[in-house]
Amino acid sequence: MTQDLRSLVEDLRERLATTRLGGSERARDKHTARGKMLVRERVDRLLDPGSAFLELSPLAATGMYGAPGETPVPAAGIVTGIGRISGRECLVVANDATVKGGTYYPVTVKKHLRAQQVAADNHLPCVYLVDSGGAFLPLQDEVFPDREHFGRIFFNQANLSARGIPQVASVMGSCTAGGAYVPAMSDETVIVKEQGTIFLGGPPLVKAATGEVVTAEELGGGDVHARTSGVVDHLAEDDAHALAIVRSIVATFPASAGFETGARAPSSTSRAWEVREVEEPLEDPETLYDVVPADTRTPYDVREVIRRVVDGSRFQEFKKLYGETLVTGFAHVWGHPVGIVANNGILFGESALKGAHFIELCNQRGIPLVFLQNISGFMVGREYENKGIARDGAKLVTAVACSVVPKFTVVIGGSFGAGNYGMCGRAYDPRFLWMWPNARISVMGGEQAASVLATVAGKPEDEEFKAPIREQYETQGSPYYATARLWDDGVIDPADTRRVLGMGLAAAAHAPVPSPSYGIFRM
Amino acid sequence: MPSIHTLLVANRGEIALRVFRTAARLGIRTVAIHTDLDATAPHVRAADDAVRVGSYLDVDEVVAAAVAVGADAVHPGYGFLSERSAFAAALEAAGVTLVGPSAQVMEQMGRKDLARDIAVAAGVPVVPAYALDDDPSTFAYPVLVKAAAGGGGKGMRVVRSAGELPEARAAAAREAASAFGDETLLIEKYVERGRHLEVQVMGDSHGNVVHLFERDCSTQRRHQKVLEEAPGPTVDADLRHRMTAAAVALARQVGYVGAGTVEFLLDADTGDFYFLEMNTRLQVEHPVTEAITGLDLVEEQLRVAAGEPLSRTQEELAITGHAIEARVYAEDAFGGFLPQAGRADLVRWPSGSGIRVDHALESGQVVSTSYDPMLGKVIAHGPDRESARQALLRALEGTAVTGLTTNTGFLRALVASDEFRDATIDTAWLDRHEVAAPGPDEARLFAAWTAAYLLTPGVGSDPHPFQADGWRLAGPPAPVVVELDRPVVVEHARLGVPGTVDEMPVTAVAAADLRPGHEVVLELEGRRRRAVVDVQAHTVEVVLDGQRHVFTKPDVAADTGPAAGDGTVVAPMPGTVLDVRVAEGQQVTAGELLGAMEAMKMEFALTAPYDSVVTAVEAVAGRQVALGARLFEVTGTDQA
Repeated sequence: MTQDLRSLVEDLRERLATTRLGGSERARDKHTARGKMLVRERVDRLLDPGSAFLELSPLAATGMYGAPGETPVPAAGIVTGIGRISGRECLVVANDATVKGGTYYPVTVKKHLRAQQVAADNHLPCVYLVDSGGAFLPLQDEVFPDREHFGRIFFNQANLSARGIPQVASVMGSCTAGGAYVPAMSDETVIVKEQGTIFLGGPPLVKAATGEVVTAEELGGGDVHARTSGVVDHLAEDDAHALAIVRSIVATFPASAGFETGARAPSSTSRAWEVREVEEPLEDPETLYDVVPADTRTPYDVREVIRRVVDGSRFQEFKKLYGETLVTGFAHVWGHPVGIVANNGILFGESALKGAHFIELCNQRGIPLVFLQNISGFMVGREYENKGIARDGAKLVTAVACSVVPKFTVVIGGSFGAGNYGMCGRAYDPRFLWMWPNARISVMGGEQAASVLATVAGKPEDEEFKAPIREQYETQGSPYYATARLWDDGVIDPADTRRVLGMGLAAAAHAPVPSPSYGIFRM
Repeated sequence: MPSIHTLLVANRGEIALRVFRTAARLGIRTVAIHTDLDATAPHVRAADDAVRVGSYLDVDEVVAAAVAVGADAVHPGYGFLSERSAFAAALEAAGVTLVGPSAQVMEQMGRKDLARDIAVAAGVPVVPAYALDDDPSTFAYPVLVKAAAGGGGKGMRVVRSAGELPEARAAAAREAASAFGDETLLIEKYVERGRHLEVQVMGDSHGNVVHLFERDCSTQRRHQKVLEEAPGPTVDADLRHRMTAAAVALARQVGYVGAGTVEFLLDADTGDFYFLEMNTRLQVEHPVTEAITGLDLVEEQLRVAAGEPLSRTQEELAITGHAIEARVYAEDAFGGFLPQAGRADLVRWPSGSGIRVDHALESGQVVSTSYDPMLGKVIAHGPDRESARQALLRALEGTAVTGLTTNTGFLRALVASDEFRDATIDTAWLDRHEVAAPGPDEARLFAAWTAAYLLTPGVGSDPHPFQADGWRLAGPPAPVVVELDRPVVVEHARLGVPGTVDEMPVTAVAAADLRPGHEVVLELEGRRRRAVVDVQAHTVEVVLDGQRHVFTKPDVAADTGPAAGDGTVVAPMPGTVLDVRVAEGQQVTAGELLGAMEAMKMEFALTAPYDSVVTAVEAVAGRQVALGARLFEVTGTDQA
C-alpha cells in the first residue's frame, strides 16, 4: 500500500471537505431555514475579513460513535481554532448545531478542553459561539463526572479569566443545562434575539419538574436575558449582528489582554522573541510531494524537508558531523527564530546527547523548538544497551520535558516507541502537534508487536495469532485514528507545514517565556 | 504689453487662476486678493503677490489694494464686482485701468431696462414687455418677472396667472434687493420652450467690434447654466448671421470696449430670437468660444485695456470644430441639489487631447459654502459636436472628487442622455425632467473588491501567518466578506487574476495608489471600468463615472428595537404622573408622547414603543406610582 504523498493529500482534502459540510443536509437546511448561519460561516464572519484560520483537529471523532467506517459526529460537532478578530489572534470555539444538536460527545469535550488549553498556553482571548444542547445524555458517564469532563470547561473559563485572558460568548442557539454556564461564565456575552436561549432546564424539564408550561423564549430568550435577568450584555438582531458585536468587544481589549494579571505586561508589539522580516523558502513547499517517499520505511534526507519549511531555505546546522541521525540547527519560520530537531534515521546515544545539548541551547536563548518526527525508535541491542543508550535517551527526554520554550511537533513519518518521547510526542506538551497523512503512530511497529506477543505466548510462528495483531496496529497506527482521538491537533498537508508552524509560532509569541530549569540529567 | 505691468485680479477661484495664466504668459506681474478664509487658496499661491481684503465685494478695499500694490490694471473676473459700475468708476478715479467696459456702459447695460431701450434703438428684437403699472389682467401669461439689475437667474419668477403675480413680484424684489442691492423689476413675455443663445463680442478703443460667434447655454437648471457649447447646435448660417449682426449692432450702439456677451432667447417653436441682456464681463463659459476660435479672450481683453487694437478682424475669425463645457459644482444633484461642503480628500481632474479644465480645487482642500459652489469647468473640444460630446463624457468619467459630493455624475448622465445628444434640451427641460441617478451596484462592486484587495498580504499589510488570504487547512480559501451597506462576498481580489464579487466574475486590470484613494480598473462582463475608491475604517467611497457613492458599514452599536410584543409602558422610576396625553383606542406612532412623569426632580417622557393603538391607560395625572407600575398598554398595529 505505497500510495504517494499526493494521493494521501487528496484523500485528506476529501475527508476535510466532507467534514466541513457539518451535519446532514436535512439538518443543515433546517438550521439555515431559521435564518441561522452554518458554523463555519459564523467563524468566517467572526474573523477579520479573509483572516486565515488554523482549525484544530477538524477530523476529530472520525470513525467514532457509529458503525465501522461511519462518522456520525463530524468534527466532534464543534469547530475550534485560531484566527484574527479585530487584528488580534483569538481562540474560537463554535458548536455545530447541525451535528446532533451540538451536543457534547466525549471527544467533543476533549476538543473543547484542548482549545482552552491552547488559549491558556498562548494567552489567546476566547470566543465561544454557543449553539448546543449540552451533554450527549446517552454517554453521560464519559462526558460528565471526571476531571477532564464537561465541568472542566467552566473551571477553565474561570481560571482563564482570572489570568486576564478574556472570555466572550455569543449565544446563537440553545444553551441548555450545563451549557448555560458558557455564557454565564464569560466576561461579556451576546445573545441573538428570538434565536438564542439560555436556561438550566428547558421547557420539557420545567414541565416535568414543576408542571409549569412555558415557551423557550419566555424561559430564557434574548429579550429575557438582556432586559430582565442580566445573564447577557448585548442583544443582537441576528447572527451577523451578534458576530459584529463580538468583533467590537474584542476591539476593546487592551493590548496587554491575555497576559497574566500582575505579570510584566509587554506592549502589543513586544513578543516573547524577536520577529524578523518573512522570507519565502527557495523551494516551493509543494515540491515536498516529490522528495518525501510516502512509505515511512524508505530513507531520505530530512534536510530536504527543512529546506522547504524555513525562511530563505537557510538552515544553520549545529553539530552536523556528530550524531548524524539527528539533525539540529537554527532557522527562521515566518520570521520567528526556531531551533529544529529532526530525525534522519534511528536514534543512537550520540544523537540523543546532541539533541539534549541543542535543546538546552534553545532554552538558554529563548528560541522555540520544532521537532520533525520520523523515528522508529532508539537503537537496540547489547552493544547499545551496554553503552547506556537508555541513559542518553533519558537525557534527551529530560531536556524535552523540561523545555520552557514553546515546542512544535510535526510527525512527518513514523512515531514509534521511546522515539515519540524523545521527539516531543503529545505527552511532552508541545504547543501544537500535527501529523502528515503518511504518518504512523504506535508503541512499536505492527510486525514487531505481533512477533513479540507471539513469542511471549509461545507461538512464534503462528500466523493466525499474529494477523489480528498486525491488523490492530495497522488500524490504530493511522493518523486518522490518532486525530479522531485528539492525539494531535490535526492532520496537515505536508505543503502546509511551514504555514501551520508559522501560525503556531505567531500564537505562541503572545505568551512570555519563563526561565529554564531542569530535572537531574542522568550522566 | 507696454502699459500694463502689474495686474490685480479682483476675484478668486478658477477665474483668478485662469487670468493669471494669461498674464504670466504675457510677462505681467500678478496680484491676488484674498479674504482670511482664502489665505492659502490656490489663487493666492499662483499670484506673484497677494493682498488681504475683508471682502471680495468691498469696492474701497479692492481699489485701495490695487493702488497699494501699484497695479496698472484690475481684472474683475466674473461675479463679485465685475459688473458694478461703481467699482469701474472708483478705479477710474484712482487712475487704475479696469479690464472691461467703462462705468457708463456698464451702468447702461447692467440695467435691464436701460439695455432694452438701447437694444430697441439698435434695431435688435426684444422680448415683448409690460410696464410694471400695466393692468396684470391684460398680460399674456406666462410672464417672467425679473430683477432689472444683475443676472444669473436670481430674482426671476415665472408667473402663469394674474393671481400669482403680486407674490412673485414681492419675492423677486426681495431676492433682487439682497443679491444686487436694487429691487427694480421687469415683466416680460415668457417663452416656454426657449433656447438660451449668446453672442460673444469684443470691441477695442479704435472703434472695432467683432463677434466670436454664438454659444448655446440652454441646458440650465433654475436659470443656472449647467452645460454650454459653441457653436449653437441648432443654429444655421442664416440665424447665425442675423443674431451676430444684432449683437455687433448693439455693441456698436453703446461704443462697447472689451469683452461682452449679448444674450438672446430663441423661441424653439417659432425660430424668433429676442435680446435678453448684455453681460459686460468675461463669462464663465468663455472657454468654449476660445476653443472654437483659437483666441485667448483674456489676452484680447488685456490688449484692449492697454489701448491696443483687437488682434483679429471679423474676416480672420472662423469656427473650428465644436466645444462643450460642463460646470462641476459642490452639490448633491441627486439629493435635491443641496450644496455640499467639506474636505475634498482626493481630487482628480481629467486631462488629454482636446480636454481643458479650469479649476481651483486640489486634493485636501476644504470647500465652504461661503463662496460660489462651482469647483471647476471641464471643457472638451472636438472636430464636431458628437466627438466633443464623447470626449466630454470620457473627461467627466475621469473626474473624481472624494470626501465631497459633486454634480459630476449628474453632468455625465446629462451629457450621455439622448436629449442632449439630439440637442433638444430647452432652458426649462431640467426643471421638468429628472435625470436618473446612477445605481449603486457597480460602485458597490468596486468598493468591495478594493476593500478586499487592500487586505491582500503584500498590498496593505506585511506577510503574517494569519494574513487575510482566507487560508484554511487543506481546503479552498475562505472568501472575504466585506461589510458595506450589506455584506459582499469577494473571492480572489488580486491583480490580473479572475475573481468574483457577489459571484459576478471580476478581473482587476490595475489598481494604482492615488492617496488617499486608489484608482481601480476592473473588467466586468467584458467591459473595462475605472473608478476611484477610498477605503476608510467605517465607509468606502467610490467615484464611478463622476458619481460619488458612499457605502457605510452597519453600526454595530445601533439600538436594538423594543422588546417584541412588549406593549406595556411602565414607570421607569418611582414618582408622580405629571401628564396623560392619550386615551384608549387612540392611534399612536413610535416615539409619540403618551404622558410624562416626574421622579427624583427629573421629568421622564413616556413614549409609544412602536406604531400602535393605545389599549389601556392606567396613568392618572398627579398620582404617585411605584417603580415598574403599568401606566399604558399599547398593541402594535402589525402585532395584534
